Amino acid sequence: MPSIPQARLRNFSIIAHVDHGKSTLADRILELTHTIDARQMTSQVLDSMDLEREKGITIKARAVRLEHTARDGLRYGINLIDTPGHVDFSYEVSRSLQACEGAILVVDAAQGIEAQTLANVHLALAQGLVIIPVINKIDLPSADPERVMTELEDVLAMPREEVILASAKEGTGIPEILEAIVERIPPPTGDPDAPLRGLIFDSHYDPYKGVVAYVRLAEGTLHQRESIRLMASGAQAEILELGVFRPQLVPVERLGPGEVGYVATGLKSVADCQVGDTLTASHHPAAQPLPGYKPARSLVFAGLYPLEGPDYPLLRDALEKLHLNDASITFEPESSVALGFGFRCGFLGLLHMEIIQERLEREFGLDLIASAPSVEYHVTLTHGRGEIPVDNPARLPGPSDIEEIAEPWVKVSIITPSQYIGTLMELATGRRGTIGTMEYLDPQRVLITFELPLAEVIVDFYDQLKSRTQGYASMDYEPIGYRQGTLVKLDVLVNGEPVDALSLIVHRDKSRAAGQGLVEKLKELIPRQMFEVPVQAAIGSNVVARETIRAMRKNVLAKCYGGDITRKRKLLEKQKEGKQRMKRVGSVEIPQEAFLAVLRTGDG
Amino acid sequence: MAVHTATPANPPDQQPDPVHVTDRVGSGSDPFDAGRDPMGGRPRPPVGLYLHIPFCVSLCPYCDFVVVTGHAARGPGSRIEAFVGALHAELTLRADALDAIDGIGGPDRTALRSVYLGGGTPSLLTAAQVAGLLDHIADRFGIALDAEVTLEANPGPTERGDIAGFRAAGVTRLSIGAQSMDPAELRRLGRRHDPVDVRAAIAEARAAGIRSVSVDLLMDVPGQTLASWDATLHAVASLEPDHVSTYQLTLDDPDAEGLTTVEGDHLPVRAGARRWRRRAAAEQDQDRAAAMDARADRVLDAVGLARYELSNRARPGHASRHNLAYWRREPVEAVGPGAHAFDGVTRRWNAARLDRYLAALVPPDDGSPSLPPGGTEVIDDPTVRAETAILGLRLADGIDAAFGEDPRLGPGLAWGMAHELVARRADRLVLTPRGRLLSNEVFARLLP
Repeated sequence: MPSIPQARLRNFSIIAHVDHGKSTLADRILELTHTIDARQMTSQVLDSMDLEREKGITIKARAVRLEHTARDGLRYGINLIDTPGHVDFSYEVSRSLQACEGAILVVDAAQGIEAQTLANVHLALAQGLVIIPVINKIDLPSADPERVMTELEDVLAMPREEVILASAKEGTGIPEILEAIVERIPPPTGDPDAPLRGLIFDSHYDPYKGVVAYVRLAEGTLHQRESIRLMASGAQAEILELGVFRPQLVPVERLGPGEVGYVATGLKSVADCQVGDTLTASHHPAAQPLPGYKPARSLVFAGLYPLEGPDYPLLRDALEKLHLNDASITFEPESSVALGFGFRCGFLGLLHMEIIQERLEREFGLDLIASAPSVEYHVTLTHGRGEIPVDNPARLPGPSDIEEIAEPWVKVSIITPSQYIGTLMELATGRRGTIGTMEYLDPQRVLITFELPLAEVIVDFYDQLKSRTQGYASMDYEPIGYRQGTLVKLDVLVNGEPVDALSLIVHRDKSRAAGQGLVEKLKELIPRQMFEVPVQAAIGSNVVARETIRAMRKNVLAKCYGGDITRKRKLLEKQKEGKQRMKRVGSVEIPQEAFLAVLRTGDG
Repeated sequence: MAVHTATPANPPDQQPDPVHVTDRVGSGSDPFDAGRDPMGGRPRPPVGLYLHIPFCVSLCPYCDFVVVTGHAARGPGSRIEAFVGALHAELTLRADALDAIDGIGGPDRTALRSVYLGGGTPSLLTAAQVAGLLDHIADRFGIALDAEVTLEANPGPTERGDIAGFRAAGVTRLSIGAQSMDPAELRRLGRRHDPVDVRAAIAEARAAGIRSVSVDLLMDVPGQTLASWDATLHAVASLEPDHVSTYQLTLDDPDAEGLTTVEGDHLPVRAGARRWRRRAAAEQDQDRAAAMDARADRVLDAVGLARYELSNRARPGHASRHNLAYWRREPVEAVGPGAHAFDGVTRRWNAARLDRYLAALVPPDDGSPSLPPGGTEVIDDPTVRAETAILGLRLADGIDAAFGEDPRLGPGLAWGMAHELVARRADRLVLTPRGRLLSNEVFARLLP
């Protein structure tokens, strides 16, 4: 690949709300620049994880190197860094943006600005990026680019003459976007002869090449087979391979300032090559590392336990490997009376939690149980014994040891058609929320903010928002600190035995309703057993709700003749597998999904 | 009745001893004898033969059997005649194949102890068609003088067919698909007959000299109450059948089980039937179903219809010999679309689609018939043990208590005893009344 001078390099991201067509736009850009030929073209090339394609969302940021001959006749090297669009992954977005000088802002021509659009634009502006606004899906019958342009102008101060109209689906506007990237986004700065400094923004593990670090060079030049050092970990390595993403890995001889590529380090340990570390040359090291990333802040915590106790070491290995790929998960060992040994994990949000659990199950073949998710509480102990963080309700000290409990609050921003304001206010106030501001984006659409306890948001708030607004509202949230609350621990007893993994911390005024909702849901989710099983919710020794799961009465194959024997045996095998996927707590078999019952209790 | 006309494939001195058939599962010194191949992995000759007749006048939404309806079953476009020709062709090919197997071919092969025409609605066949098939079977397989020859019939006047003619053709047992004696329930089940038709069909069977009459009933069906079930039981008891099958309505999903592919032994579930099943499943109630089962015991035991299998009751001497062969893992030959055969080692089935069945056996342009598409499964030893125990426990007689010592089966049986689903009676292990309704809980724990 011929070398392109630094002045003709461009690094950009695409930021968008979920479903506004970011991945399709990336596909079209890859096609137009012949990065991927038509034969290899699959839809949403950059979403290579099965989960991403299934869910239609981007989870991991990805980089790809394009080459494009602009109208000035010169050849440009362009790095596209794809970003996730979901609220849980703003951390990933901010990391991607740090590797760029510009961003394409994609807004749906029919839907206009959404909550996530605002959040991402603010992230990009905070990093001083040039923003190229694109109104996508102008081919839709319901497209109203004029209205969206007005919104962009009013809400984000984007001049309408800078807006490019496009249809990624039909390929219109794509050449204009490429031209704007070349014209409007500045080349990366950085002295090619300065001591080498490159920021590691992602990595993966390859069994042959060791840790493969994804790096964005700030200064200096990196050569094939050079000796390198990681400034934070102190690890040394020889470069086994150096290259760029097209989007598959293609080796190159060298990388200069502003370039984005990968370095196969041969390092075996994940810990030696962390995301956020600075890579430098061993023979001429830089004096100061680059400012790293702010560590991701976990907002949701849950215990992850192997269904089978002996899988514990496998789970630990899997979490370590996944952590290399997704620095935003945290984990530390914990044990549960009900579930045995596992890990307390921190996640960016509930979707992130769901995705991590699915990745652990699919990519590492583990069967897992997740305990009820929780936020992190700050508990002030009595007698001046200080404050402790509690992210596991089962670990909440007894009432006599607690002076005060504080819980995290968030500011939730919602953009909604104005006819839904009433129902959303009802939703927020029902969840202990207070109304902040209200601003009309246009006569039909409103930006409302609420302040809510995070614990009330993680439990199906988003689902409720979508169902109450027929899917039209979008939301984003940001932490705004801790506030004191009248909170109590709600324990669940199954067949008389407390199941610590089901414990919850709830507001005292809502404890009875929460307990009732939870035991009703558990009654639905726990299949009938050989005997009657009481399910109780209790605060201390005071039972606040009770349901009974009746004994199983019938599980029979009525007919079993010549044609049925093989079929019925297979049905029995399925039943047997189902039993194996349940967790035995005391003498009761509890299915995995029951541990997440709290998420499904509806708007309690 | 003729035994065999085919040339023996092997000299008579290589013929095995006649297959030993036990009266009870595992009554020999080794409890695994029964249901196990005594010749060490070699196939055994069939003791029974099943013919699947896939035609019905209309489709009942709960039915999973291979069934075709409408023009194919009735009127000028009926494919029954062509199908009967295909059955004859398959009978010939299957008999030829048996004759060619070392050790079980030839004229000394034991005659069949049972023949079963199931469906579908086999009573849509003419008496002449049934006679033709039975003659052909007698000719190639042999039918024992005291054999049980069952034909399934729908009770409606236009569907039950020529019962006297069937008797003359050799049918000895009539199995009547009554399902319920409540008119409203019958309509909700998509059945075309009325309760009085059941009475009439039984009377005709008796008049024709049919030796054994059986009635099928369904419980836990939409709209059914304990009272209506009770009424059905009493109505049936008053008709004095020799045999009653009481089936819990099971609403399975053959599509989800992967059985409805082109090679599969089931047909896809139609959209209407799928909706019906969803609604019916929502109405089912396991506590009520358990009560219904207990009620069936009380009413039918009182008239001498004793339970001999999970879903089957009979007067002494009227247990279905053909079905006992399945539960005892005895070899049964089978012909027709979706039919399953077992030779003691391998289970074999024909694919369900009628078109492909006909195309193979009655090829156009007078080509020579070939065996229809289908599949096979060889049962490995641990599965043989599990199947033997599971099928044996379905019978009132249960299994030899020595099964409890088996390292693979012991823990599951012990679990069943601990939960009072399995009990020991002298040297046998049997399901308790509660265990009968929860038998899957035990069976799933017996699988390898």
